[in-house]
Amino acid sequence: MRPFTLHEPTSAAEASALLLERGEAARLYAGGTELLLAMKGGFLPCDHLVNVKTIPGMDAVALDGGALVIGAAATHTAIESAPIVRERFPLVAQVERRVANARVRNVGTLAGNLCFAEPHSDPAALLLLYDAEAVVEGASGERRISIADLQIAPYETALEPGEVMTAVRISPLPGGARAAYLKFGIHHRPTIGVGAMLRVAEGVVVEARLSLGSVPPVARRLPEAEALLLGERAEHLNAESSAVAEVADAAAAQADAVDDLHGSTEYKRHLVGVFVRRAIAQAAA
Amino acid sequence: MSARAFSTVGQAVPRVDAEEKTSGRAKYTTDLALPGMAYAKLALSPLPHARIVSIDASRARALPGVYAVLTAAELTGMETHYGSDRKDRPIVAMGKVRFEGEPIAAVAAVDLAKAEEAVELIEAEYEELPPVIGLEAALAGESEPVQETNVCHRYEVAWGDAAGAMAACDHVFEDTFTFPMVYHYAMEPHAVIADYQADRLSVWSSAQHPFLVRAELARVFRKRLDQVRVVVPYVGGGYGSKSYTKIEPLAAALSRLAGRPVRLALSVEEAMKTVRRHATRATIRTGVQADGTFVARECRVELDTGAYTDNGVRVTERAADRLPGPYRFEHLRSEAVGLFTNTTPAGSFRSIGGPQGAWACESHTDNIAHALGIDPLELRLKNLVRPGEELLRGRRRLEADLAAPLAEVARGFGWHDYEPVSTAPHLKRGVGMACAVANAGASPISGAFVRLHADGSATVHVGTTEIGQGSRSALAQIAAEELRLPLSSVRVIASDTDAVPYDRSTGASRSTTLAGLAVHDAAADARAQMEDAAARYFETFAEQVALAEGSASFEGESISYGALIGQVFGGAGGEIVGRSAITPDHPSGKLAEDPVFWEVSMGFAEVEVDTETGRVRVLRYTSVADPGKAINPAQVEGQDEGAAMQGVGHTLFEEMRYEEGQLMNPNLIDYRVPTFGDLPDEFHTVLLERGDGPGPYGAKGVGEGGIVAVAPAVANALFNATGARIRDLPLTPERVWRALRETNDA
Amino acid sequence: MSSATPRIRVACEVNGRPVEAKVEPRAFLIDLLRDEFGLTSVKRSCDVQVCGACAVLLDGRPVSSCTLPAFEARGHSVLTAEGLADEPLGEALARAFAQHAAFQCGFCTPGLLLTAKALLDSAPAPTAEQVSECLEGNLCRCTGYKKIVEAVLAAAGRSAV
Repeated sequence: MRPFTLHEPTSAAEASALLLERGEAARLYAGGTELLLAMKGGFLPCDHLVNVKTIPGMDAVALDGGALVIGAAATHTAIESAPIVRERFPLVAQVERRVANARVRNVGTLAGNLCFAEPHSDPAALLLLYDAEAVVEGASGERRISIADLQIAPYETALEPGEVMTAVRISPLPGGARAAYLKFGIHHRPTIGVGAMLRVAEGVVVEARLSLGSVPPVARRLPEAEALLLGERAEHLNAESSAVAEVADAAAAQADAVDDLHGSTEYKRHLVGVFVRRAIAQAAA
Repeated sequence: MSARAFSTVGQAVPRVDAEEKTSGRAKYTTDLALPGMAYAKLALSPLPHARIVSIDASRARALPGVYAVLTAAELTGMETHYGSDRKDRPIVAMGKVRFEGEPIAAVAAVDLAKAEEAVELIEAEYEELPPVIGLEAALAGESEPVQETNVCHRYEVAWGDAAGAMAACDHVFEDTFTFPMVYHYAMEPHAVIADYQADRLSVWSSAQHPFLVRAELARVFRKRLDQVRVVVPYVGGGYGSKSYTKIEPLAAALSRLAGRPVRLALSVEEAMKTVRRHATRATIRTGVQADGTFVARECRVELDTGAYTDNGVRVTERAADRLPGPYRFEHLRSEAVGLFTNTTPAGSFRSIGGPQGAWACESHTDNIAHALGIDPLELRLKNLVRPGEELLRGRRRLEADLAAPLAEVARGFGWHDYEPVSTAPHLKRGVGMACAVANAGASPISGAFVRLHADGSATVHVGTTEIGQGSRSALAQIAAEELRLPLSSVRVIASDTDAVPYDRSTGASRSTTLAGLAVHDAAADARAQMEDAAARYFETFAEQVALAEGSASFEGESISYGALIGQVFGGAGGEIVGRSAITPDHPSGKLAEDPVFWEVSMGFAEVEVDTETGRVRVLRYTSVADPGKAINPAQVEGQDEGAAMQGVGHTLFEEMRYEEGQLMNPNLIDYRVPTFGDLPDEFHTVLLERGDGPGPYGAKGVGEGGIVAVAPAVANALFNATGARIRDLPLTPERVWRALRETNDA
Repeated sequence: MSSATPRIRVACEVNGRPVEAKVEPRAFLIDLLRDEFGLTSVKRSCDVQVCGACAVLLDGRPVSSCTLPAFEARGHSVLTAEGLADEPLGEALARAFAQHAAFQCGFCTPGLLLTAKALLDSAPAPTAEQVSECLEGNLCRCTGYKKIVEAVLAAAGRSAV
């Protein structure tokens, strides 16, 4: 691996200044479980590593007005084992507990995962079920980027030069909402991840979110399929129902699948249908 | 065989390397260092097939901290090529590159970072050639061949008139099956430390066959055998990947050039581009009578042997030997052709040609059973070769009964009254079996010395490599048994061609049988000398003295081994040396025929398939191993379980994926091997111990057999569950999903 | 080029003893442990955090030392297999691995022993499923895994008084 210089800022502003100063040659570093693999493999040139973990408070996992705020240096393990996450955001805890393997979870961070934007990954697809935002700090101050707008292409985010992600804010699901997230694959990284969130009032779906990860280049919502769920009676949403089958078909049509080592486009579209159906049934159950 | 009760043989005692391996003190090649040692890095071809126009290493050579850069131009005053059967492999590419990842140059530098930096500075210019990828392209031969021709080797075994006999059969069935390229993933990638000096070449290597490496190095560097020393520290797994000679000549040539010791340790990606298992396509045609009796079989297997011969000749031959399966045929023709392609060279991998053959044969057997409406177990029982019959004409007769254990284990597995449980509409379950027998054991050439020291402890010198299979433990148990010593008094030393007698190889499930026999005979020789000494001491006949637990006794008197050896040498130290040399002419008469023994494989699987995703899980797996006599039953089970789990890998996940000659999954992120999560809920090995092997105490080889039956047993279970017959491995979810869709459409 | 990057002083605890070294920023923990401290039980295999052969415990938690920068050890405690014998569960695990034939080539064994120790520290009486789930990120190519699960369960039984 090429030599690099380590920078250890003590504030986000300092980190941001370092990034701006060094430009393309600098990379932000939190857990490093993806970044260092890429650097070791020679895929990512980097002469300056800017460590966010030396910024005080970056590893916090806390509630802020009901929203879960996860600092950029909080590891997957810290997140899934935090009592507030397990109690108030059990699905986040459940998915975080199954990211990669225990060693990666002990080092890797949620913010780092989102910033790296590896397509075959779960967290982004999960967070699309929530109102979630990335909190970023740059030269012109702090701004928030909706999770849906954060990743724009594989390994590419909407962060501007010099911007540092400091936290991920996750709002609780609305009252009456139930959610499920399913992943599938035989490889180290997931082949598909599907999330479903249903808000039910008086037995009828009044809000629905479906998210898809690992299949499209960037995790995405499936709005056309979601629309078909509105007005459906929750009790009818089981894996055998024709309404769910229709939703699954719509989801598969929107999957934006690509051929890769995980399978063909055709098979992945099929899987989208299967897991959308299962996720809806699980959320509705 | 003696009637006395065994003291250590047959006991599941902890391995003799337990303390070292559980304390982290066990030393593997990369844990060693020599003074002044340089670190090596390879420059690899990015292209699968090309002429080398030029290699410019001047910038790399000029880099401070670089000791030497080896290219083909530096291979002077020595042989440039090596290989076990054919010397077709250049030490670094010469004139042409034949696969992506072939070394074109190597750097020795002060540290690895510097060597890596230097490799980046090597500039090579190529003239690209169309790559020959896959069996079809190799057979078509429409572009420049990989070697002088694309055919590596042809082989045939035949008797009777298979083609003619087919016409008279009630039914003829034909199937074609493919098996992918797979990678051993020995967790320790290949590693070598070479120290070249004018009169002496010393090599520490993760090699399975140190004596074959020694011979190869002596030839390449034009030295006498005594001038070359090959030491094998602990080895982090082999499975065939470290058989014969791999990177040792390159490391030695680099050491010669650098004028200092050199360490070359491969990465997983480089190991994957060093050796793999042969991909195959096999077609079987069987003539069967209406009652299910097999009459004639014609089969053909094409093997993708990659860019160089490596062990391709022997693998091609074994593939043809093993493809017909464990059945009786009046008429047989089995042919094999090994083909060169522009991919990683293929060589030995746990049962060469075995899993590929059984995959085809045993899937085909179930197809016949299904077509004839006969239970797959009954069809096998009807046609299995019987004890005392020839499985391959002119070879050793089968000593073991196959039918009785197959029927018995089937009963234990619940074969006859199996009812699939359904836990959800999309989950289906089924059961399947497979059976195979392989000619194993390789050449019966092994030697051993046993030194009984003046304090009654003993050192065993034997050439087997401890690659994890537990040879050092089993051989220590045999020596302790024969020397009448406690196991704790016996040490088996590491392979070192300077210090241990010749052993042909560690592979083909041969070590307990052949090296075991060598240790047994050498220890018995030492014991006989002790009996003579005791007889002189007690003034009686040798037959009258009893040796046990490190002492000799006669009529209530006893003397320790140490004191007795003191008597022999007049009290001034000394030691008793027992020796043996095993050859086909062994006095037991049991090693004269080929093969040394037949290795049995049987597997029973229950699977569950998610019919919506195609994901297959193995719920239950029972494997049958036939060690004849298990020297250490826990180690035999462990070998068999490990082999079976490795079989689960090529059955469900493993495949080296090439696109246009580029390996697309050269890492453990994308090349999936089995994990704890793939462990079947019930996973058993049944040991057959009938004392019918040619090794010590009736032992015969195991360790390879467990991998052979897995794929067909699982695929047959999938067929049983769903009616879908899959002809290509691995059974990935997508492949299974497609097969289920086709079956449902049909 | 390598001289251009300032070295970093790493003071940490390794196997119960305070140690200190200067490392390049790009040095990984595995290199520090093996090359500087001679702790060769830490094995390099997949080099991409999948196999667990290089696993060490950092403040009691398993990490992949192949991809963790050495400077991350500053101020923390590192446990390798060499230090396991001095730990309460170390001997029980080593004995159980020996008695249950839970290793063959032994290359994965140090990482497995450490990961199993971390499990038993947090869950002293795990089920077979918990053992499999916890060890799922550790590969072994020799044993077929069954005997490793049995050994960890046995070690738990022995140490759970």
